[in-house]
Amino acid sequence: MKRGLVVMDPAEIPGTEWTDRVRRLQERMSAEGLSLALVYGDVFRSDDIGYLTNLCIYWNEGIVAVPAEGEPAFLTKLSPRVHPWMKATSTVADLRSGKSFSQLTAGLVEGREPGVIGLVDAALWPATVVEQVTGAAPAWEVRLLGGIVREQRLVPSAAELALLRDGARSLGRAMDQATGSGGQPAEAVAVLEGEVRSAGFTDLMTEVSRTSDGVVSLEVTGEYRHGWLHAGRILDPSSPEPHWLPTLRAGFEAAVGAVDGAARFSDVTAAAEAVLGDLPADAAWYVRCVNQADMATNGEYESVSPTTPLPDGAVVVVGIEVVFADGGRAAVAETVLVGPHGAERIAVSGQPAPTDLEEASA
Amino acid sequence: MTQLDVRGASSAAAGVPQPPPEDRAEQALRYRKARSVMAEQGLDALIAFAPGWRRENVRYLSDAPVNGTLALVVLPAGGDPYAFSTRAADLAAIRSRGWVHDAQLLDFPDCATLSGRLRDQGVQRVGIAHLELLPLAVAEALRKGLPGTEIVSATALLDDLRLVKSDWELAQMRRSATVCAAGWQAFVDVLEPGLEEYRIVAAVESEIKRLGAENNFMLIASGGDEVMGMTPPGRRVLQSGDMVRTELTPQMNGYWLQICRSAVVGRASDGQKRSFDLFNEAVEAGLSVIRPGVTAHEVAVAENDVFRRHGYGEYCTAQYTRVRGHGHGLHLDETPIIEGNHTVLPEKAVFIVHPNTYTPLAGYHVLGDPVVVTSTGHEVLIETERKLFEAGVAA
Repeated sequence: MKRGLVVMDPAEIPGTEWTDRVRRLQERMSAEGLSLALVYGDVFRSDDIGYLTNLCIYWNEGIVAVPAEGEPAFLTKLSPRVHPWMKATSTVADLRSGKSFSQLTAGLVEGREPGVIGLVDAALWPATVVEQVTGAAPAWEVRLLGGIVREQRLVPSAAELALLRDGARSLGRAMDQATGSGGQPAEAVAVLEGEVRSAGFTDLMTEVSRTSDGVVSLEVTGEYRHGWLHAGRILDPSSPEPHWLPTLRAGFEAAVGAVDGAARFSDVTAAAEAVLGDLPADAAWYVRCVNQADMATNGEYESVSPTTPLPDGAVVVVGIEVVFADGGRAAVAETVLVGPHGAERIAVSGQPAPTDLEEASA
Repeated sequence: MTQLDVRGASSAAAGVPQPPPEDRAEQALRYRKARSVMAEQGLDALIAFAPGWRRENVRYLSDAPVNGTLALVVLPAGGDPYAFSTRAADLAAIRSRGWVHDAQLLDFPDCATLSGRLRDQGVQRVGIAHLELLPLAVAEALRKGLPGTEIVSATALLDDLRLVKSDWELAQMRRSATVCAAGWQAFVDVLEPGLEEYRIVAAVESEIKRLGAENNFMLIASGGDEVMGMTPPGRRVLQSGDMVRTELTPQMNGYWLQICRSAVVGRASDGQKRSFDLFNEAVEAGLSVIRPGVTAHEVAVAENDVFRRHGYGEYCTAQYTRVRGHGHGLHLDETPIIEGNHTVLPEKAVFIVHPNTYTPLAGYHVLGDPVVVTSTGHEVLIETERKLFEAGVAA
């Protein structure tokens, strides 16, 4: 849950970049004939809203309304008492509280010439909210859109990549401490929570998995500003380690090794598959490759063709999880930068970061 | 971009774990209660739907901690329950609890498997808890996949079922109470001038996760009488004399419980002490009226009357505050304790009494204890002393 640091720091993302993000959306809106674009978010999934405004929906739901021209407004069912804090930590000056999205939408369109309202990523909106918005603007055409803000987020800017690297270094160091502590999994999680949140992460989720032959996996997903990082590692396994563990590791290395700016997902899968066939027959395995832009939902809302190329300059999570017939589970994962000549693991500590971020970014 | 490829065994279904007898009894109790209400409402199936931020009903019907973006449990009027999740790891988690053995990946956005099973069962009327949060893609998939099936909201149905806690649930919540106390102690221990707010949270999170907390909801505020409300933490640096407030709400075994306290960095001022006395009197007043059958409205009035009596009544309005407490359980913010909410709080309902608000005495002040309604009144579930803490000051 989002209870870590929330901050708006112009040294991290300059004001011109915030303006440019909204402008790019408005250009798209203009091309598609939209008068208003509405972006829905809740405490679980709000990265589009964070990207456009730096607003943190730390509880409940909200909608950012972007007009074809002018500044965005934020519609929320939270009390006006949160407005001072939200103004201080976002780019939005126009904050509107109300009892329902019907009421808020009616207020939003009042006095405007009716046109077209686009609902961004409409398939993921609660159907009831779609009904409320539609009902509150009867003279307007309501158009259901795809993830047009998400598309802007898929390849990070230089500033975003710098933040992802900062967060990755902190996460990598914390993982080293946690997995090297030799303690119980709860102690490892405690180390992660203390270290990663002290580094300024907004959100952190950890998961401990076990297999019946004594392998313990520790996975961590963290939100740093509005970027996401993930790592999954094996805690010290039992000795001797199970025969399948080297296979999992080899499969993971093969998957990461297949990542580059010319690769397709099927290349990553094929590389892992060539190795993972040696896993026990009763095990199911999952190879995943998720853009950090989708990590709030672990990528579960998005699916693409296996032949889709990995975007050069994107930051992605590559992982493999194995599930055994007895319910045991193991997982390894890393966050990597997709480069023209391969993957750079950015959540591994001790690895020098490129000094020329411009060159490293897309 | 999500690219998930599944290979290997066609099914990695776990065996059939058998939960302990007390867990099985709890499951039987819940299903019996749910099916009784389903029969009254003419429901052929009840779906507990969980978007990422409202998972309480899936937990209620499966006892399983799920992390998927979308998860759901189907309880048919007759026959075994089954579950879906968009996250592969959830499937083993659900099966391993032993309440729901049949768990599958949800084929979002088509949801064809779910629709097919409901159709095969001849479901004519289905209730969905959190229907109001169902994504448009899923709502349309169900509408197309279940032509002729009436879909209604069952949110209130499950909210009502969860209101009264069983002894099994109260045992879980007592574990949450010990973590509340430990979390608050960690909070006080770390306070010192020069510390940024977000590092307080880091220390608390580390301690409660070490103790096994699954999650935590926490708001914070630091400063003097200029503080008007609670927020996530920022980079503000603590100063001597600051009052630091928190609502700390760890989740253990699915159950959330909250403690509200305020601490001063160093010695408390007279204004801070007077503020504490006012809020403590309001908490006491709220607690004093609790008995089986009391309404949320009556508890709120008892708290607010203290403020009104002392001339601070305006600070009980929406301009300054939200609620005077709220229910707890598998969701952290259940029925609101607020004037005008006439929900009856029966025996074994659990909620926090917290008259948190702003006053000019010392700014926003938080103080509150979670309680369970007993046959004769109430029991406070935490042992943390209700006082104005002074961090760094020898007792």
